[in-house]
Parts: sequence; C-alpha cells; structure tokens
Amino acid sequence: MTDSIDRRRFLKVLGVTGAGAAAVSACGIGPEPTERLIPYLVQPEDQIPGTATYYATTCRECAAGCGVRVRVREGRAVKLEGNPDSPINRGRLCARGQAAIQGLYNPDRVAHPMVRNASGTFEEIDWDGALQRVTAKVREAQGKGIVFLTGAEQSTFGDLVDEWMKQVGGRRLSYEAFGFEALRAGNRLAFGTATLPTYDFANAKYVLSFGADFLDTWLSPVEFQNGFSRAHAFDAGRPASMAKFVYVAPRLSLTGMNADEWIAAKPGTEGLLALAMAQVIMSEHLARVPADASRLVSVLAAHTPRAVAQMIGIDETTIARLGREFARSGGGLAVAGGMATQAANGAEVVAAVNILNYVVGSVGTLVKFGADLSVGATNTFADLTTLTSDMTDGRVALLFVHGTNPAHSLPGAFQQALAKVGYKVSFSSYLDETAASCDLILPDHHPLEQWGDSRPRAGVIGLQQPVVQPVFGTQPTGDVILKLSGKTGTFLDYLQAKWRARHAANFDQYWMDSLTKGGVYSDAPTRPVRLATTGATFSTAFAEVPSWGGDGDQTVVVFPHPALHDGRGANKPWLQELPDPVSKIAWHSWVEVHPDTAAKWGLATGDLLLLQSKFGGQKFPAWITRSVRPDVLAVPTGQGHSAYGRYAKDRSANAFELLGGQATVYGGRSFIVRTTASKTGEHQRRIATIEGNVRDLGMGTTEVLTLARAKALHPGDHPFHFEETPEYAKDAVEWWADRQRDKAEIGNYKGEQPRWGLAIDLSKCTGCSACVTACYAENNIATVGEELTERRREMAWLRLERYWRVDEHDNVQGAVSQPMLCQQCGNAPCEPVCPVYAAYHTPDGLNGQVYNRCVGTRYCSNNCPYKVRYFNWYNYAEKGGKYEAFPEPLSLLLNPDVTVREKGVMEKCTFCVQRIRGAQNQARLENRNVRDGDIVTACQQTCPSEAIVFGDLNDRNSRVFELAGNPRGYHVLAGLNTKPAITYLARVVAQDTASNG
Amino acid sequence: MVLILALPPVVLNGQQAQSASSQTSRYQAPVISDTGALKGTRQPIFFRHDIHAGQDQIPCMYCHYSAAVSSEPGIPSLQTCIGCHQVIGGSTPTHQAEIKKVRDAWRERKAPEWVRVHALPGFVRFPHMRHIKGLSTRLGVDANETCTTCHGDVKHTTQIEQVSTLRMGWCVRCHMKNEVTRDCSVCHY
Amino acid sequence: MAETPSPTTPTRVTYDYVTRTIARTLGTPSRGYFLLLGAAVTLLGIGIITLLYLLRYGLGLAGYSHPVYWAVFITCFVFWVGIAHSGTLISAILFLFRSGWRTAVYRTAEAMTVFAVMTAGLFPLIHIGRQWYFYWLIPYPNERGLWPNFKSPLIWDEFAIGTYFTVSTLFLIMGLIPDIAAVRDLATGWRKKLYALTSIGWTGSNEQWRHFTRGYLYLAALATPLVLSVHSVVSWDFAMALVPGWHATIFAPYFVAGAIYSGCGMVITLLTPIRTLFGLEELITVKHFENLAKLCLLTGSIVGYAYACEYFIAWYSGNPTERAAFWYRAFGPYWWATWTMIICNGFLPLLLWVKKIRTNITALFVISIFVNIGMWFERYVIIVVSLAGEPFTKWTNAVYNPTWADWGIMAGSFGWFFMWFLLFVKNFPAVSISEVKEVLPPPRSKPSKAHA
Repeated sequence: MTDSIDRRRFLKVLGVTGAGAAAVSACGIGPEPTERLIPYLVQPEDQIPGTATYYATTCRECAAGCGVRVRVREGRAVKLEGNPDSPINRGRLCARGQAAIQGLYNPDRVAHPMVRNASGTFEEIDWDGALQRVTAKVREAQGKGIVFLTGAEQSTFGDLVDEWMKQVGGRRLSYEAFGFEALRAGNRLAFGTATLPTYDFANAKYVLSFGADFLDTWLSPVEFQNGFSRAHAFDAGRPASMAKFVYVAPRLSLTGMNADEWIAAKPGTEGLLALAMAQVIMSEHLARVPADASRLVSVLAAHTPRAVAQMIGIDETTIARLGREFARSGGGLAVAGGMATQAANGAEVVAAVNILNYVVGSVGTLVKFGADLSVGATNTFADLTTLTSDMTDGRVALLFVHGTNPAHSLPGAFQQALAKVGYKVSFSSYLDETAASCDLILPDHHPLEQWGDSRPRAGVIGLQQPVVQPVFGTQPTGDVILKLSGKTGTFLDYLQAKWRARHAANFDQYWMDSLTKGGVYSDAPTRPVRLATTGATFSTAFAEVPSWGGDGDQTVVVFPHPALHDGRGANKPWLQELPDPVSKIAWHSWVEVHPDTAAKWGLATGDLLLLQSKFGGQKFPAWITRSVRPDVLAVPTGQGHSAYGRYAKDRSANAFELLGGQATVYGGRSFIVRTTASKTGEHQRRIATIEGNVRDLGMGTTEVLTLARAKALHPGDHPFHFEETPEYAKDAVEWWADRQRDKAEIGNYKGEQPRWGLAIDLSKCTGCSACVTACYAENNIATVGEELTERRREMAWLRLERYWRVDEHDNVQGAVSQPMLCQQCGNAPCEPVCPVYAAYHTPDGLNGQVYNRCVGTRYCSNNCPYKVRYFNWYNYAEKGGKYEAFPEPLSLLLNPDVTVREKGVMEKCTFCVQRIRGAQNQARLENRNVRDGDIVTACQQTCPSEAIVFGDLNDRNSRVFELAGNPRGYHVLAGLNTKPAITYLARVVAQDTASNG
Repeated sequence: MVLILALPPVVLNGQQAQSASSQTSRYQAPVISDTGALKGTRQPIFFRHDIHAGQDQIPCMYCHYSAAVSSEPGIPSLQTCIGCHQVIGGSTPTHQAEIKKVRDAWRERKAPEWVRVHALPGFVRFPHMRHIKGLSTRLGVDANETCTTCHGDVKHTTQIEQVSTLRMGWCVRCHMKNEVTRDCSVCHY
Repeated sequence: MAETPSPTTPTRVTYDYVTRTIARTLGTPSRGYFLLLGAAVTLLGIGIITLLYLLRYGLGLAGYSHPVYWAVFITCFVFWVGIAHSGTLISAILFLFRSGWRTAVYRTAEAMTVFAVMTAGLFPLIHIGRQWYFYWLIPYPNERGLWPNFKSPLIWDEFAIGTYFTVSTLFLIMGLIPDIAAVRDLATGWRKKLYALTSIGWTGSNEQWRHFTRGYLYLAALATPLVLSVHSVVSWDFAMALVPGWHATIFAPYFVAGAIYSGCGMVITLLTPIRTLFGLEELITVKHFENLAKLCLLTGSIVGYAYACEYFIAWYSGNPTERAAFWYRAFGPYWWATWTMIICNGFLPLLLWVKKIRTNITALFVISIFVNIGMWFERYVIIVVSLAGEPFTKWTNAVYNPTWADWGIMAGSFGWFFMWFLLFVKNFPAVSISEVKEVLPPPRSKPSKAHA
C-alpha cells in the first residue's frame, strides 16, 4: 500500500506546471537542476497554472453533509473550505472536514484490489479478476444470506446498494458507531414521530443541554455551532445581550466547556431534572403552556424539585432557579443526547426533555420537526447485534462492508462473527480493522475523487463531484456495483438519471447550477407535532438511578473524540496532532480522573490506570482534572487501532474494548459502563499535552466579564485599558515607528499603508480547534508526531489555550478558549534582536519572517512574550526522514503558495501573507485597492462560530477597525507596550460572578 | 479552449500579419546547420523561439497563455502546438523531422518533457502578472514586449538560455531602479 | 624595573635556576602529560562526532523544548567567555598596578584566556539552526545588498569577542618574545627553528627592552577596558531581552564579577597540576595561590551580593512577572540547579576568609572545581530556567532535559580547550622567565650564561 509513486506519476497526478514541484522542494534547497516541465496534452478550460480553481462538493467525513469548496492548484486538491451557499455550514468547516484531504492523499490507502491468498496474506489482483470473483460469490451466496453493511448513507449510492441487494436477494444495513437511537425513540415516545427535528440554536434565548455535545459530535456540529454562537455570544444576535447556556452532564466536553453554568448531575438522572424543571414551570405558570400538556400534571406532580433533588444530587433551589430561568428567557431550547441518554431510560430522558421544550412552547419554533435529519437515519445498534448473531450462526454467506469499521467499534463480538461469514468483501480505501479481516478488498475512490450526493435532511441534497484525478488504482464503488449488477453505464449516469427524475425540465442547466452551488437547497416545511405521551412510563423509568452494564465499582463514560470521532480520523496526522479541545492531549488516549479520586488512589497525571469491565480491559494514562465528577471516569474513543495505517496503528488504547455488545431497550448502545480501576504502576513518561500551568498574573491574558458588567459598557469605555506607553518612552517609540515608516516609503508602498489586524471574539470562540487544522492545511505546517509533541515541539502556529473558569470553591464552571497566535506587534520584541533581519517589520505592519534569511539563532522566540514562534528542529520535509511530515502522496496537498520550511529556521503565523499578496496582486490587475473582506485568513474562513475577523486597521470603515474599538476589546500583555495587531474581545459569562482560572 | 481554436495571424494569412507587423523588414530566422554548436539548453524537441516568436511573430502569450493573468506563465499544451502543426508541416527536412516529433507525441498522447530553463528556488514568489502589468504601464508597451526585460531577446534566440542571473541582487537592483517595493515579504513567504 | 624584592622567591632561586627550571618544563613529556593530552583529544573527538550529527539531522538532537530555545550551548558559551577574563585581568590590570606576584602566574592565565575565547567563539556557530550560513552574521558586502542588524546584541557580541580575542592573543605573544628567545638558546632540533622564528630576532639588547616594556605597557593599558567591556556586552545578550530574570540593569557588573571569579577559579584549577607536574613549586608558591584566592573571595562576594540583589529587587519591584520568575527559579522544578549555583558561588568563597584554607593548595583546588561548577550552573539557571519558567504567557510548560548531544558538544569544548592548553605549556614557557627574573634580587656574582 505504501508504494510511493515515482516522479513521473507524481507529476502526472500533479497535473503539472513547475509550480507544484518547485513549492515541494524545501526552503533553501531550491528546485532540482534537471526539473522537467510536462505540459498538458489538452489544456483544462477551467484551470490556470498558478491560480487556484474552486470546485463545490460535499464533505463526507460525517453524515452532517456540509458543503465544501475544494481549492485545486495544478490538478492537486490543496485545501477544503466551507461552501457559503450551503444552508448547513454556511461556508464554515470543522477540523475533521479540513482534514479530509489527508484521507485523499493518505500514504496508507489501498492502492489496488487485494485478495487474501492461501497463506492468509493479501496479494494484489486486477480489477477484472476481482469482479469475477465477486460475481461468482454472489451467485453461490444467493439465498444463503447476503448483507451489505454501509455507514450513514442517505444518498443515491445508498439507493443503488438497496436496488442491488433487492436484485440479489440480500439486505442493506447501515451502521454508525455513535447512533442516535435514543433520540428517535424519545421523539416517538413524546410526539409519536421517530424523526429528528432541526434545532434553531440561533434564535434560542436560553440553551440547556442534557449531555448533548452539539458543538463537537452531536448531529450537525458546524451548523449548531454557527447558530449557537449567534445566540450565546454577547452582542451577536440581540444587542447587549446573550443566551445563557447550561450544561448538564457528568463530564465537561468541548460543548460543556462553553457553558455558563455546569450542572454535574448524577449520570442517568438528567430526565428527572428535566421533569422537575417542567413541573416548576407548570406549577408556577411561567409560560403559556399548551392545553394538552395538562395531562402531564399528575406525572409532573410526582417530580417536584424537592422529590428528586436527592436523586439528582443537586439542591432543589438550583433546580427551581433553572426552571424559572429557562421559562422566563422566553426562548428556551433544551436538547438531550450523548452521555445523558446512555441508560436504559435513555428514550425517556429524551422524552422528558421534549416535554420541557413543549411546555415552554419551543417545539415548533426552535425545535422544528419535518426536516428529518438523516444523521441518525442508520439502522439501530439492535439491528447490528442481530446481524452479528446471524453471522455467528452462519446465516450470512456473503458480507459487503463500505464506509464503516465495526471491527474497531465492536471489537469482540463482531470480530468473532466475521470469522464465521462465508466470504467478506470490503470496499474500504484504507486497510482498517474490518478490511484487514475481509477476504477481498475493492478499494473505493475517495469522496473527492468520485461522483455522488448525500441527503443530510429533507430539502437539502449535497452534490459531490470528483475534483482531482484518482491518486491510486481505485475504482468508485458505484461503478463496481453497476458492473456487478450487470447494468450499463457509470455511476454518474445513474446519478444523473436519479436527478433527472427529480427535475427533468431543462436538466442540463439544473445540473450545472447544482454543481456550481454544490447541491440543491430548500427548506422543508415544519410539521406540527402534538404530545403523544401521558408520561406514564416516567415513574417507572426514573424510579431509581440506573445501574450500568458491568460489575465494577467505577462508572466509566466512553465519549466520542471530537477530532478522531469513532476512530475514523486516527489515520490523519493533522487530527492526531490536534490537541483535544478539553484535555489538550494529542496522539494518544487518556482517562479523566477527578483530583479527589486521584488523591484517594495516589494517582499522578500520566500514571497508567487499568480499567477492567466484564467485557474487556484497557490501560489509559490518567489526566487529572476538575472537569469530571468525582464518582465518574471518562475515556475517549478514537485510538487503539490494530490496523488502519501508520498514523493510527498500535497507538494507545481502544475504549470500545470496555463496552458490551448488548443493545439497550431502545435499541441503542450504552457508552457508560461499570469497571474496576487499578493502578498498574506503569507511567507514561509524559502525557503529550500542550497544556500549560494555568496561572493568571493580572497581566490581562484572558479577560472575562459578567453579563451585568458587559451590559453596563458603553461605546468608548475601555475597562481593560492599559497606558501602553509610559510618558517617558513616548518619544522613543514614536521615533522608532517613524523610522519603520521611512523605510517603507518606497515605490508602490508610498502613502497610506494598511495595518493588517485581527479581532477575535472570545465570547464566540468555542475552542473547537477547526482554525488550528485549517492553519496546518493552509501553511504547510509539519506534524511532528507523538515523541516530539511530548517534547513540546509541535509547530501549530495557532494554538488554543484553554483556561478553566472556577468558582470561589475552585469548582470548574466552564472554560475560556483563547486562540493564541503571532500578535503581529507594532512594536515587536522579536524584530530588533534578529541579527540578520529575518524577523523584521513589513511596511504593512506585519512581523515578517523571511525563512530563507533565517540562520536560526532563536533569539526572536526567547524575546517573544507570547511564545508563538516555532523552530524547525529537524527537516520535516526530508524524504524518508525519521520525522518526515509529508510522505508521498501526502506531499501533494502542500500549498504551492507557501514555502516548505527547512530545518534550522524559525516560523510563525504570517496572517496568511500569501492570501494578502494574492489579493493585492488581483487588486493591482484590476487597478483598484484591496477592499475590506477581500482577504480572509484560513482561520477566519473556517471558524464555525465566526469569532475571527481580519482586515485593515487603518481603514476606518473596515469591520476589524470597528471591532478593535469595541469596549470589550483588549490587547494581550498590553502592559509590555508591544502594540499587538490582534484585539481580543472579552468573554462574557451569563453569570453573577465571573471567575477566572 | 478559445485560445487554442483561434489560430495566430501567420497561419490564417501571413500577408496580413506581415503588413500588420512593424515597418522594419520582417525578421528571417537563421538556418541552423549544426545544433550542437548552439548555446542554451537542449530540449527534447528542437523548438525555435526565433522562428515562432521572431519570424512568424506569434505573440508570447499565445502559447504562454497565463503570464499576464497569473503568477505562472504556463507552458502550452500539446494541443496548442498541434493547433498549428496539423496545418504546418515544416519547410526544410530538419524542420519536418522536429514537427513530426510533435505530431507523434500528439498521436501517442505523450507530452514531451521540456527541460526547465528559468527556475527560482522554492522560497521565492515571482508573480508574472504583476511584473508584466507594471512594466507594460511603465514602459508604455504591449504586454508581449515586456518579457525581454528578464528573458532576453527571445524572438531572436534559436535555443533558449538563461540570460539573467535571476539572483536576488539582480531582482533588487531592478526594483530600486524602478522605485518599487523592496519589502522582503513581497517575494519571500 | 621595580626594585621590590619579591617576598615570594627564596634566595636560592637565581636567574640561572629560573631559566633552567622553566626550560625543563619544555623537556620530554612525562606519561602523565600524554595521558592528559590523550584524554583531551578523546573528548574533542566526541565533540566533533556530535557536531557532525547535529549538522546532518538538526538541532533537534539536543534537548531543546519550547520555549527553552537557548540551553547548554549558550550556557557553555558564556561559561568559557567568563573563564577568559581573569587572564587579562591578571596580566594587564595587575601589571598596571605593579603587583609583583602576578609574574609567576600570568602566562598561564593569559594562555588560558586565549584558548577559552577560542572555545567560546565556537558555540554561537554550533548553536544556530543553519550553521552553514554562520557568515551571514558578519557584515560583508554581498550581491544581495544585505547587512546584519546592528541593533541586535548578537552582533555586538561577535565584535566584543573578536576584539578580545585579537588583543589577548597579541598580548600573549608579545609577552612570550623574550622568553622564547631565552629557551631558543637552549633548544635543539625543530624547536630551535620554531623558537628562532617566533622570537622574531630577539637579542635582548637595551634598545629592544626599552621598546618592549613601553609597548607592553601600552598594550596592557589597551587591554584593561576590555576586561570590563567584553562580559558587559555578553550580558546584554540577556539584559536587552524582556525575559524576566534577564531584563536587569545589574547584569553587566554582575557578569564581569562572575567572569573574573570563574576565571580565577580556573587559573587555580590549572596551576595546581602544572605546578606539581613541572616541579615549579619554587616559582609558583603558596603566596601566589593565596593572592588568587583573595581575588576569588572578592569577586565571589560581589556575585553573592548580586544574587541577593536580584531576589530583593524582584520582590521589592512588586512586578508580578519578576516575582513569579524568581520564585520559579528558587522553588520550581529546577530548584536543584539554582541552589547548586547559590551554594557554590554565594557561600563557598566565604571559606576563603580562613587563612588556613586560603593557604592550603589542596583545599583551594577542590574549592576551585566547585567554583567552576557553580559558575556553569549560574549560566544554566539564568538561561534555561528563566526561559522555562517565563511567566508572561500562562501557557509555557517546558520539559527541558539536556540530551547526549548537549553533553557531547560540551565535552568536546573541554577537550578542545585542554588540548590547546597542554600543547602550549609543553612548547612554550608556562611561567614568564623574564618577568620572574625582574622580581629577583639582581645577582651579585657573574651574570648567568643562560641569559644572553
């Protein structure tokens, strides 16, 4: 698989002008003397060498169906960006979406069909041979049980599979490791419809989440985050106001970390809390309760705060307060999922939360049924368990697997069952655990290489087109199935046929429009729902705190990793090196332990803890944190692969090992399990975390305001104002500034200079870290691997610093995430100390960093108070080097506009200078000046919560200028008189006392 | 596509192109007997700029189509060559031999691998369009006339060689002469 | 010159005796000498191999860890520059003060100075990321029209070190001339040629002596300010930066005192073995050691005061970052380094108040070793610990640990230094013949043959 492609082929894939090749050659080395220029045979009409072309398509990293635009240079896909036309992600993208191209150019892709030979190892086979085998197998397996297992596939491809299975008398099963069975069951219970509604976070005035991690893994994260920031950020949706966000769960996730208040209820009692709140609202008539809710009165009466407080573990006054706040806000939105819906009563929890929404009248306004989110439209976990037992009993003769990896998420049961299946065919493009135990692998194209579509919800269809020529000898599974089912034509014909059926009139025009827009977007009509339950089931469901599977004394929460998710991201170095937003740990797994528990066990951070459930045991290094309940341990999924390529294999532990294979009563899977925990005595030398010592020296690094204070601010106020330049130093500083300007007074820089600046609203930033990965993608930043990350040599130009907000009792309330990157100081400490002017001040106010002039004295970094300069300790671009960051064909995604840095040079955030220059060049061609908004930095472009704004601070009409004057605005370490170009807007917390950790 | 379908003046009707061309008598490319003696880089196909650009007066940007709009000048696709050479077979045996290579390549769908003559290190950005725009406005000449500033008198060169050092000092001196920016981060990022 | 009859030298030490004893040091080397030389060369070899690795794979082999971007290499740089100081102090300043006792020790000190600077000068080249572009730090007209940034303390550094190296080398060579002439007349074989060449036709005529003494005096006067300037400039590498723990006006005097302190320490460390190895007990006497010890005591106390000062100001200034930085220094993860430095440099010299210790050479030797260790750690603390605990950003969390690469280069530097030093003392008079004679009572009998 890892056969690296030779230069000729490399250039062919490259699509070829010199540019790409030159850019790949590392800084200081230059292009090799005998460089060849291979022209196109036929010039593609839509591509200009040296200029990027954008193709609209659909992201398939998860089922949310975000629209993306792929930047293509010389035939190489170099960057993914959100598609502004898409109503789902509105031009924004998450870290996983950004990393999709690392899947496309992954060095460990299956390059050609492979068959298991007698000796049990895989050997290459040609496509015709492979297809013949399958046809034969299908023939003999007919009637003996044929199953096609896919991931979430609400798409034409899914339809094709269904058709084929009907034809051969098989059945299709779709499986996602993290399904939403409880949600569907709960909705059926409450409203008699098993569909998923859309949640209008943007217009909520109070957000209450019962374990639903809607910012990282729940349903449609980018969409929800975008909406959430509009509601939750101060001054965003409504002037001088914000929606309060309360998070109810045993541990703080990325989502929970953004909460204004954290209610650490006992796991499994969330439903009680919802009912108690509803009871308060109804008994105190705090909202115009729909008539039919009256039938609930009796049930609710049994769930007064006083009655349930004991069980939940929160005092009743808090419960009552929450109920009142929720109702009085006049726009309360409650969501349930994730950790809250793991117990046998998961469905009831969802139903209870639905009722809470219902009594305040949010159902139909904020919770809109009708557009059934297809994210959860997979078969239930119960279906999979039946499949597993069928397989074990030999009732499955032929199994196809596509786009899912159950052997990893269901290690024990499914693995064994696989062995019993007659013949197993995988369409996986990577040698993941499931593929590894199949008999035949027919590698599929990467979504960026093939045609397709996906239907994330009613009314929205994302179209998917090939943006690059295939990197390897793979074939689109659509075509393969058509061949196998004896149909003529390619999958594109099939796709178009389906689309024509939808819109025959003037089809070609319709098709082209859809292609350019990236799909067809319309709003599904909202379907009114009525209360279907009498709530009778609640009394039994919430009778006592549920007990979990397993028999240990510890409750362990297994949660999806925000970046690696169920493990599918583990083969992408960008996602591996992306520190988890909460723990800030990269490259390996961990277990979250509360300090009290740790003290009890004499546990130190990094000590390996053996968790032993009755299903399996795994060792995890401890991360000691206050963001988890003392009686709960939490471990992320994602790691612990036994296959799946060089970046994923044999890395840390697989949390799925702890879980059982039994379906819950509502057909889902419980991700909370009882285990025993024992110290192993082993110690992981260092946790690969980039977390620092969180000490605030009143230097004003991270500013937090209470809502009350924020409201009191008037334009012109400067609560964080520093006397940046002491009187006696003014002259000197001004003289220095003038000198800089004089230097700049040359040629076309004469006259008014731009001063590039950034404004970052901490009230909007959720810490999701999409910007970090976007920065890696845009700026050819090397990933350094676990060993070097442990030694804090990660190169992330933009890092997210997470600081806990603690109350007076030192209990964690939430966290503030602060993106820290080069501040492009106006009076930069790094510049005067560089002996060779590699760090210098550009006329447009950047702290220039000239890689090819840098000799690497590293003085600049020592003198940088923000510590945002990163050094190339090795040559990360060295082919075959120990720390090679871009093994072919990964090197194909290098941005040709950005130098690949050599060993021994310093690098740092450049404000995406290549984009600045690009915009300036374009403006010059059009004989105009750069307009505000022409330049969008990579981090700004991708930020799902639109927290980052770039522009010219000297332009009185620019957005960034306006934001820089905001009363909440402040400069980090302004006291040092560095005059940063980045203005942070203080985080506002909807709380009486803002506490800052 | 448009670029490729529209044939250059000389092919349509040489006469018009000639009269259109400047008053000076039309340049005649020399007959080359011994290619070994030529300066410059030897290419897989003996492509002569002096014939195409000089004698036949095909504008530079007819082949290097993106020079004025993009940072990369672009090298003509084989289709561009064939666009003319399916009509033009060459006058002398040597020419015919070379043109045959082009036609064969087209038939075999295998593009020739030109040897790069002008190369900059990976850490230098040279936006062609900016320089062409700048020079043509400054010198008040047609965009196609600006190329000579760096690439030399291509129109009268039989086999292309690198005439400028393309070293930083050379760049900077020109930038100083023309009073344009000398900010490092304009070329290095 | 001075008629001060030196108290140090017993009467049986005559001109003749001096010449012979010192000439004897140049005789056939003992096994001990070769052992030492071999050890030095081995260390150097280790250093060279390490350097080759660094060049091939990059500085990542060393222990650097964000934000500790300067570490052992710069520590060694400052350490060696420091060592270099006492040489010029003893030879130049004490010369101007006419203190007779210097004569027996100044040659060793000067040689040490030159070789220490040679060693120190290597480190800035080794520690930069792209060593092959080191010449970009030197101002020279080039095709690109680029110049170094004269605002950068690193550039000042390179000038300071350069000047110091030139002057101290000149000073050493000049002092050597009469002595070389002296041994020339005794030497045989290739050495005779060498000395004939290097003594540049010295005959010892009055004429030459007059010029020599004048020239030597002026050179001494010229060299004196350097003793203060060089390490001040080096200290500005840190004082000019805004890192808490670096950014202090006290640095220049603090560093100079420290330098001389470490220098004297090193002189003692070097003299003790040479003295016994070459049997110079008669010439280099306890008295000399005691005076060196006094110098240590003085400078050591200044250093101790500087430490106290730093902590006091950190507290007194009320500057939170300063306070945090120094708290981290004393009680952070690197407390052991800090306390090693404070004990070795702050308290150890106080022992020298006791005359018994001051006059006990073995004790002095042991103490001098600890002085060297202490001063190395002082630089380590200032550089590594200040960076590791930099309190501006709440996100710094260094995990710095030196690796084999750091130690390899450091070992190499010691090898390099001692190799040169050993070669020197074997081939040139390690004690100034002429100047020792100056402080002897002039012979009553017929002048010795030895001194033509």
